[in-house]
Amino acid sequence: MKISEVLRTEPARPDEKTSTLNRDATRILRLIPVGMLFLILVVLSALVPYFLSVNNFVSILMQCSSLGLMAIGLTAVLITGGMDLSVPSLMSFSAVIGAIYMRAGGSPVVACVIMVLVATGGGCVNGLAVAYLRMIPFVVTLSTMAVFGGASIWVTNGMSVTGIPRGFITTVMHDIWIFPAPVVVLIVVAVVVHLFMTRSLFGRWLYAVGTNIRAARVSRIPAQQVLFGSYVFSGFVAGLAAIVTTAWLGTAGGTIGSEGVVLDVVSSAVLGGVSIYGGAGTALGAFVGTIFIKLISNTLNFLQASYYMTLVVKGIVIVAFVAIDSLFRRR
Amino acid sequence: MVGIKKSFPGVKALKGVSFEAYPGESLALIGANGAGKSTLMNILGGVVLADEGVVNLDGHATPIHSPADAARRGIAFVHQELALMPTLSILDNMLIAAFPSRNGLIDYRQGEALCREALARLGYDFNLHTQVRDLSPGDQQIIEIARTLLGKSRIVIFDEPTSSLTSRERERLFEIIRYMKSQGTTIIYITHLLDEIFTVCERAVILRNGEKVAQSLVRDLTRDEVVEKMIGSQEVVSYFQHHVRERGPLLLTVENLQREGYLDRINFSVHRGEVVGLWGLLGSGRTELFRALMGLDQITGGRILIDTGRGPHPVKPRSRKNPMGLITEDRRTDGLLLPMSIRHNLSLANLRSFISRLWPFIARGREEAAARDYVRKLNIKSTSIEQRVATLSGGNQQKVVVGRWLQTSPLLFLMDEPTRGLDVEAKAELHSLISELADSGAAVMFVSSDLDEIMSLSDRFLVMVRGRLVRELPRDSTKHELLATASGISSTGGVSEP
Amino acid sequence: MSAKQRFRPGAFFLSYGFLMAIVVMIAVFSLYSPNFFSLKNGLFILHAAAPSMILATGVALVLMTGKIDISIGSTAYLSAAIGVVLMMRLHVNPGLAMLIVLPIGAVLGAINGFVVVILRVNPLIATLGSYFTFRGLALQISNSMTISIPAQLGNLGSLRIGPIFVDILFAGIVLAIYQVIHTRTIFGRHVMAVGNGAEVAQKVGIPVDRVSFLTFTLAGFMASIGGVLTMFQVSSLSPTLGQGYEFTAIALLVIGGVSLFGGEGTILPGILLGALALTIIQSGLNFIGASVFVYPLVRGGIIFIAMYADSLKTMSKRHVKVLAEQ
Repeated sequence: MKISEVLRTEPARPDEKTSTLNRDATRILRLIPVGMLFLILVVLSALVPYFLSVNNFVSILMQCSSLGLMAIGLTAVLITGGMDLSVPSLMSFSAVIGAIYMRAGGSPVVACVIMVLVATGGGCVNGLAVAYLRMIPFVVTLSTMAVFGGASIWVTNGMSVTGIPRGFITTVMHDIWIFPAPVVVLIVVAVVVHLFMTRSLFGRWLYAVGTNIRAARVSRIPAQQVLFGSYVFSGFVAGLAAIVTTAWLGTAGGTIGSEGVVLDVVSSAVLGGVSIYGGAGTALGAFVGTIFIKLISNTLNFLQASYYMTLVVKGIVIVAFVAIDSLFRRR
Repeated sequence: MVGIKKSFPGVKALKGVSFEAYPGESLALIGANGAGKSTLMNILGGVVLADEGVVNLDGHATPIHSPADAARRGIAFVHQELALMPTLSILDNMLIAAFPSRNGLIDYRQGEALCREALARLGYDFNLHTQVRDLSPGDQQIIEIARTLLGKSRIVIFDEPTSSLTSRERERLFEIIRYMKSQGTTIIYITHLLDEIFTVCERAVILRNGEKVAQSLVRDLTRDEVVEKMIGSQEVVSYFQHHVRERGPLLLTVENLQREGYLDRINFSVHRGEVVGLWGLLGSGRTELFRALMGLDQITGGRILIDTGRGPHPVKPRSRKNPMGLITEDRRTDGLLLPMSIRHNLSLANLRSFISRLWPFIARGREEAAARDYVRKLNIKSTSIEQRVATLSGGNQQKVVVGRWLQTSPLLFLMDEPTRGLDVEAKAELHSLISELADSGAAVMFVSSDLDEIMSLSDRFLVMVRGRLVRELPRDSTKHELLATASGISSTGGVSEP
Repeated sequence: MSAKQRFRPGAFFLSYGFLMAIVVMIAVFSLYSPNFFSLKNGLFILHAAAPSMILATGVALVLMTGKIDISIGSTAYLSAAIGVVLMMRLHVNPGLAMLIVLPIGAVLGAINGFVVVILRVNPLIATLGSYFTFRGLALQISNSMTISIPAQLGNLGSLRIGPIFVDILFAGIVLAIYQVIHTRTIFGRHVMAVGNGAEVAQKVGIPVDRVSFLTFTLAGFMASIGGVLTMFQVSSLSPTLGQGYEFTAIALLVIGGVSLFGGEGTILPGILLGALALTIIQSGLNFIGASVFVYPLVRGGIIFIAMYADSLKTMSKRHVKVLAEQ
């Protein structure tokens, strides 16, 4: 006799009064970025005559492609409650390695593979340290950021790597229908990752580990492997971003202002509804967050605010967002 | 303290308790788990506020608002978990709440003198600059006690002070308490270890279920009387109509299970169709045993054998072949994913069954069907399977946890305080559930601090004391026997070495 | 009866490992290039390390409470920039301008404190936001230009008494003051207590929030001092001022024994050792003719090791046993 068949079979009586305030508040909160995005879109379309053109949209998406990929990678890590500060440094380093390879006459295809492998390898280092050496994610990725950033500079002697074959650039940047390939890649990755995270076994595990790692362990979820995997994934995506960035810029350099970039990546994720504390957020959310960040920059640019004011605004926005999120969590 | 009433949500922790304590004496505060001892003292110590009732010091009503307030009035509380800073020195730890200062800087010279004097009074001479984390738990406790001396406390409350002490350190503590009494301090000594009371205390107050049931001089009491008062009548309040089950074949054998520092040479076996009550006092290692069986903590010796019908074979606790399910003590911290839906929580341990080789995504339809199925079977009151688990009542939350494991069809259920915090109706439902599980051929081992409950449900008892499994007792044991065994007292009245 | 002090070889090695490593490094570099181990060089090393030491003292207290501040570089820059603007555009007396700048740093730190303590935002995010905001403001008011400062101030940067740089002495005094604050004031002891465990500290009656708030304010204050000093040293305000400082400060502190988990570490000799370690490596690499770009890589590697050691140290602290040894 199966255990499950023994139990009573009375119908459930739905008479629970649930607290709706909390639920509504969270929903509203999640909608704020989308709402503001909408607002900005409205403002921009009013101000900028050609804003609503397809060209413009495509152009914005292109600007977002590298950042967006990295934000999606970071999302996986953030969901587990971790942090990965090394994403841009990994991207930059693997781009440099790939570029040097191509400059020395290597095939672009192999170069792409190298970039992805190198970045994934970096992700493995992070993953090992966090999942198996039990170090704090912030700490680990801070030091990997330093190591890989330093390595980029060292290997290139501080100069950008030029001499990248045209073939590589045109192949990567070619248009699929109206979109440049990188944009397509970004959208595909966003959608696939989103589906994967919300519907697959590993995705469930990811959210479980980030929500309550103890409960996850009790339920026989291999928490350490999940943690490890999230960092490897983050590295992998950084590799993809490396390919895109190299093709777009035409060079690979050690000083792409990596410190500013990591803050952009984190902001994109956070503004896209991914929680710093883990257990919440989606890849599509990160995608939206990236667009949001870019639009902020573009809007401010257009309003002729200086680059510096964009920094200021970004800083305030991200703090305000998290502060409000904090406030709601408390209730 | 007079007429102290204190309620926590859903539970009346204290229903009007009054007692007196005098200078120079040690008052024992006794009761089983959940009787209200800690709550009462928390009120005295300013950690919680009473709903009703008055605290009188020296005959004057004295409201106590906070721990700092209590300290000012000369009340010191030595908690079970010591309030010490591991990386700071003994000196700093002792002075931390009240540094002597001169010209804006800490006057260490004066501080050192004070500390040295306090320690000397207890008969100690530590190097004051040692970091507290380098001391043994017994020594750490001495530091906390010395700290109370510094504050010239008139009332010192000890909450289960001997739980992590060696026998020598225990003796040392008792001497210190004698010393403090000679200085006119009032000691309130909370414990459920009966022998200590007879050694150190003059009077005793016994609490049961939030009420005072006895107050007397210790010398007028016998151990048996104390036990009786603690547990009420010898009659078991039967929550549940137990029926005799036929014991099935052997399922689990545990051989010499060992975990350094926590579990010591545990041996027992469990058959299908049994409900085994794992009984013991706080800190006896019951939760640790469950965790070791599930592979959550690494064992340092011994093995686990499972018999699924073809003879016993060893199983690694961590492997997926381990057919056990664990319902943890605190469902909120390590049982449930609170912000997530019922559906999510139910499928957590069994996700693999919803995916297939071809389509690696979770079959939403099947998951929902399974969730609805279990919600129905377990009678989980909810508006839908998407409802967030955090908004369910305790009983329903617990059912979700059970449901999660049911989906994996375990052969052995480990339940750690499964009815804690549940109302009467939910408790009853869970009791029926446990019985049904056993009837259907699974085995259930459960931990409960409620003697009535564990006696109603169990087919037999395994008793643990301080990390060791000391005895197995049959179903018809008396309350007295159970309590005595768990307290380390043998049935002849002497103290048995566990 | 005296307490048995347990000698832990692991902890000992971890704590003093870096000291030993520094000695080894000095030996190695000296062998390679005889000029290395000279007084002159030593003084230059200390001179270069002075601003980071000062910055690090402020951050040290924040780390000791178990929190973090990654905005100090931007705070340094913003303070310095405000000073420059006051002097050059508003023609305020240079001395006065510099005096005004210092409390501004404290205010900036207090903003961080407010966001973390009152708004309860995660310190990483809060100081991340400040990092952006402060730097943006500073770039805005300075137009991201390199601005020279009056000669008298520039000279202050390389002022010497005999062969010894004044700023070394200044840094020394700052360290000494902080050492006293850390070890001999109630505030300092409370900082360590909070780092050990905020809940326990609260139970004992320590004003946890107030302590945290003060640490952030002080960090900002020290950042502005450090920023101003850097400006003096190079005689100008550069748009990259402070960039990476927060990172160096944290690295320096972890190497010097301050734990990122809170509640551990010293000002002296911790900060001194950490600063020395980093600058010796930098200087040494220079001396042996290594490319300028090796340094960041080596620094990163050292930080990784230091943080791993920190992790190990802390993990071994946390095992409480149920069974007493009978």
